[in-house]
Amino acid sequence: MSGRDYLGEFEHIVILALLRLAARAYGVTVRQEIEARTGREVSIGAVYATLDRLQAKGYVKSQLGEPTPERGGRSKRFFRVTANGVAAVNRTHRALRKMIHGLDVIGGYA
Amino acid sequence: MTHQSGFQPPRIAAWLVNLFTSNDHAESIAGDLLEEFSVVESKSGIGSARRWYWRQSAKTVVCLVGTGFLIAPWSIVGALIGGCVLLWFGSSLPERAIIGFLDLRRHHVMPQHSRLDIYVFWLNTIILIGRLLFGLLIGCVVAIVAKEQEMLATITLGFLYGPVNAAVLMTLIGGRLWADYGWRMLPHLMISTVGCPLMIVVGGVIVRATRMAILRRRLSPCG
Repeated sequence: MSGRDYLGEFEHIVILALLRLAARAYGVTVRQEIEARTGREVSIGAVYATLDRLQAKGYVKSQLGEPTPERGGRSKRFFRVTANGVAAVNRTHRALRKMIHGLDVIGGYA
Repeated sequence: MTHQSGFQPPRIAAWLVNLFTSNDHAESIAGDLLEEFSVVESKSGIGSARRWYWRQSAKTVVCLVGTGFLIAPWSIVGALIGGCVLLWFGSSLPERAIIGFLDLRRHHVMPQHSRLDIYVFWLNTIILIGRLLFGLLIGCVVAIVAKEQEMLATITLGFLYGPVNAAVLMTLIGGRLWADYGWRMLPHLMISTVGCPLMIVVGGVIVRATRMAILRRRLSPCG
C-alpha cells in the first residue's frame, strides 16, 4: 500500500471496532459493537465487504475458529488489525485533527 | 452467550445469501446470521427473528452485489463481453440446428398438408425450448468464467440482454412482422425478453449451487 492511504468512514468505524473487541472480533460482535456505539443499523454483508477491502489493503488479517453447534457447525472467522492497520488509523486521525484544528464549531475531537 | 434455537431461519433468504457470498466468507456469513437469528428468536420470538433475518439477508445481498463489481471488475466484464458475443453470434443456432435436422429428415418424413398447422406448432415449440436451453447454456458458461461472481455476471447479462432484445423485437413488431404474424409473435417475444434472461440467471444459480456443494463437501469433517 502507498502508506498515504486514509481510511474511509466505514472502514474507520470497522477497524476501531476490531481494536475494541481484540480477540473477540468476528462478524457478529463487530456488527453489534458498531450498532451499540453508533446507533446505526448495519448489515453483516456491509461488515464483511469492508473487512474484505481492509484485508486486501493489508490492514486486517483473519483466521477461522472452531465450528460451533449454535452456528449449525460453521466456523467463526476472527479478524485482527495488523501493524499497517494501526498506522492507517493513526494517519487518518492525524489528518482529521489537523483539519479540525481551529474550527470552533466542532469540539471535543482532540 | 448464544441460545441454540429449535427454529430454522427462512430457507429462501439463507439460500439467496449463499448465492452471493464469496467462497471465503460463505460459511462465516451463514454462521453469523444463524447465531444472531437464534439470539433474536430467544429475545423477541420467531416472527421478529424471521423478519430480522430477511432484512439482514436483503441488505447483505444488496451490499454484496454492490461491492462485487469493485472486487472483481475484470472477470465480470470479461464474462459479460464473452456472454454478449456468444449470444450475438449464437442466438440463431437453435433454430438453424432444429430446422437443419428437420431438413435432413424431410426426404423421409414430409408433413402432410392437412397436418401442417400441427407441424408448425411443434416446430415453433421446439425452437422456443431450444432458445431457452441456449440461454441456460450461456448462463452456465458466463458463470464458470466469472469465477466467484457467478450471480452478479449472469444477472447483469440477463438485465442487458432482456431490454436489448425487447428493443429489437419492438422495432420489428412495429414494422411488417406484427402485420404478418400478429399475436403469434407473443411467445417469441416473451421467450426472448423474459425467458432467455431468466434462463441465463438460472445457469448462474446452477453453477453457483454446484460450486457451493463442492466447497461444503471439502469443508465437512467427513469429506
